[in-house]
Amino acid sequence: MSASAVSVESLVKSFGATAAVAGLSFTVAPGEIYGLLGPNGAGKTTTLRILAGILVPTTGSVRVAGIDVAQDPLSVRRRLGFLTNTTGLYPRLSGRELLGYFARLHGMSRDATAARIDALVAALALAPFFDRRCESLSTGERQRTSIARAVLHDPEVLILDEPTAGLDVLASRFLRDFVRAERDRGKAVLFSTHYLAEAELLCDRIGLLHRGRLLAEGTPAALRAAAGDAPSLEEAFLRLVAGEAADA
Amino acid sequence: MKLAEVMLVARKELRETLRDRRTLAIMILFPLVVYPVVSLATAQVMATRVNRSDTEVARVATTGPAALADGVRARLERRHEALGDIAVSPSPATADDVMAGHLDVLVEVVPPAGAATVPTARVLFDETRERSRAGRERVADVLAGSKEPACAPAYTVSAQGIAPRKAVGGYVLSKIMPLVIVVMVMLGAFHPAIDITAGERERGTLETTLSAPIARSALMAGKVLAVATLAAISGMLNLVSMSLTVLGGARLALDAPPLSLPWLNVAAALAVVPPAAFLFASVMVAIGALARSFKEAQTLLTPVYFLCMAPSLLAALGDFDLSGGAAFIPGVGVTLLARDLIVGHASLLGTLAVLVSTTIYGTAALVMAARLYDSERLLGSDDAGVPLRAWLRHLVFGSRGDRAGVAAAPAAAVPIAGTTTPTAGHALLLYAIAWLMLFAFAPLQAWRLGPGIAAFQWVGLLGLTAIYARGSGRPLREVLRLRRPSLASLAGAILFGLSAWLVVGLLAEWLMPAPKQVIESLRHVVSPSESGRGFVLTLLLVAVSPAVCEEALFRGPILRGLLSRFSPLGAAVLTGILFGLFHGDIWRFVPSALLGVGLSAIALASDSIVPAMVAHFINNACLLILVHRGLDASDGGTRTKVMLLALGVVGLAGAAVLLVRARQTRRVSGP
Repeated sequence: MSASAVSVESLVKSFGATAAVAGLSFTVAPGEIYGLLGPNGAGKTTTLRILAGILVPTTGSVRVAGIDVAQDPLSVRRRLGFLTNTTGLYPRLSGRELLGYFARLHGMSRDATAARIDALVAALALAPFFDRRCESLSTGERQRTSIARAVLHDPEVLILDEPTAGLDVLASRFLRDFVRAERDRGKAVLFSTHYLAEAELLCDRIGLLHRGRLLAEGTPAALRAAAGDAPSLEEAFLRLVAGEAADA
Repeated sequence: MKLAEVMLVARKELRETLRDRRTLAIMILFPLVVYPVVSLATAQVMATRVNRSDTEVARVATTGPAALADGVRARLERRHEALGDIAVSPSPATADDVMAGHLDVLVEVVPPAGAATVPTARVLFDETRERSRAGRERVADVLAGSKEPACAPAYTVSAQGIAPRKAVGGYVLSKIMPLVIVVMVMLGAFHPAIDITAGERERGTLETTLSAPIARSALMAGKVLAVATLAAISGMLNLVSMSLTVLGGARLALDAPPLSLPWLNVAAALAVVPPAAFLFASVMVAIGALARSFKEAQTLLTPVYFLCMAPSLLAALGDFDLSGGAAFIPGVGVTLLARDLIVGHASLLGTLAVLVSTTIYGTAALVMAARLYDSERLLGSDDAGVPLRAWLRHLVFGSRGDRAGVAAAPAAAVPIAGTTTPTAGHALLLYAIAWLMLFAFAPLQAWRLGPGIAAFQWVGLLGLTAIYARGSGRPLREVLRLRRPSLASLAGAILFGLSAWLVVGLLAEWLMPAPKQVIESLRHVVSPSESGRGFVLTLLLVAVSPAVCEEALFRGPILRGLLSRFSPLGAAVLTGILFGLFHGDIWRFVPSALLGVGLSAIALASDSIVPAMVAHFINNACLLILVHRGLDASDGGTRTKVMLLALGVVGLAGAAVLLVRARQTRRVSGP
């Protein structure tokens, strides 16, 4: 039994002749926010989809809460909350109907569902639009409803795929505060983004992903130091990519 | 508005549209293949139906004052002697005999009354039976004529339907309602199926759905159940609405007696709705999951909709019995059962056979849909869509197929510079052109059968293959895989040719027996004595020519082209189906398709077209000899048939062993 909430070992994922993920390894501990950073096409979304049991790894092992995703994807899905990079809300259902549906899928009792929904409506300020159809919500409202859907069953692991994409400053701030609060409740949070500044603000540790492989890993400060005391994480990333190109 | 700008935009749009191969395939295949095939099949079924009612003898009896009845009987007997399509019963009869089906027509003769000078012949018939209706027309024709030319008619003829109003209502309903129910169930499934598959992808909610803690099979079963519910509601609403419309229409029609409907029977017909809805929902959801967008799903499902409708349309038009293999053909069974339930003729066994088989087909489609939905390719290739090959491979092999696909990808054939290897697109295009050839040579065949067949085969099919080879920059030899076969594959092909016609023929006879007149017309083509050709010439025409020319096209570029996209099994099955359809005859579809699959397997196993040609030749030659000797007409009884079938199966098994051995030897020693 691993102590890590998430453990990825030598993960490879190929689509035909293209390797989207090429030998990736990292772990995320409970009560930690781990940022998976990289440019578009680095393999972030593919990795997160494998973790959520949506894609099957070509080789390598992925464990969530000690359970092998390839062996038992259903148990894994029960233990994690997955927020996709599109909000992924059913447009013709209201927030209340959507949460009710997912609560049933997670096997929650009627009373537990009602209590949890009340708590989330208060925490995420969903009340003004909770009974409106999702198709009529603003981007920020959708994202908050989507977060409520992801954390509804109080999962041990939270996977957020570019959650701030398209959000304004206020909504982004709200989301970061929520993620920190979840971390403080002991949840493991795996977070992907290509906004390096945001990752620097939020993440305890960061894995820099480039062409499906981990370029470097550590705290934001450690990464900057590893790149020759780079002034920002963005600069550190550029130097590390350039260094790898020179090595190749 | 500048013309140059308009042209610029048009060129760009055309380039984009024509790069969408699916749109192209549907644009070409649909008008060239689907419509002609469906209309050809429809015409054949209609012709068969007309022929059948023409050849059935009308059983007639007379009643009334003896002298008058004898006169009528004498007239009818003269017709019997001349044409043999009326059989006059000597025993007395009543209208009940017509209703019970012992008789088709009863002629009631009434002496002249009042100002009338000739007796009245009342032709009583059961308007709910086709045979009785045909008999009425024949009898009325005979009696309405005069004894001598230019004389007044000997009888005043009046036809009178004697079926109860409810039965007539049921009959009218049974003519239109089964097809409408099935079509409306399909239509009811069409848009919801797209909405929950391609629509879900388009709305970006697929990932959310797939990340939920629910098994894919349960997820897909739920989706199919939702679509099937909507389809069933659509079917049931149509059933009710159409019943009321028929009633209303009958009331509006002038002079028509009030129509009543057998409501209990109509309600019983609802039994076909749930299984039909389940079947079509599963099929449409499976196909819809292939599409990248709502529009593409519509494009893909439209031909599927027509193809699903075709069996029901043929069943509705054909007046077939719900017996034998018909109950097990998807679409046909439910249509015929709905008809039989409405007229109250359904048997328990037939009903069970249809309901159970349709549910099994629906479940199989659901399993396929769930496998497909399980595919990570739904998300793995958001931009490129799901490749057809991957889709089918996943459908057949599940996720094992996906992994195999990854490993097999780099092993694609390396093209020779300046040449093209056949692709699936080439195969379909060639097939479509071959259909055009078939239509182009049809007038020549109608004018002179022998030269017409020869020209079609050697110029149309072989010529097309040769032109294709030239266009692709490869020698015809290579396109056809014309190479020396191994001894084992040749022996296997010979054994296949000797056994296949027996097994395939007997299976087709059981699954879908062809009407007598179809067999007769086929015999006319192949029988040397009937066509006035010698045996050798007929052999050249119906055995050598197809063996060379059809094989060249079908087991040449078509099979090889499909092989570039599908697994060997998939390519062989698809080639077989295309080959079966190409015979342009619904009665020959099953045997031709089965033969086509076998011949494709031979060509692939031996990696040479020669054994397939040999097998095709022997198969056709065996059939020719059978007709030549007149053995095909003899019915040897069930026992002989079973023995022959067993013999054929043993032969085929031997052929398979030899061909597998030939394939293994080829693999070990290299190509």
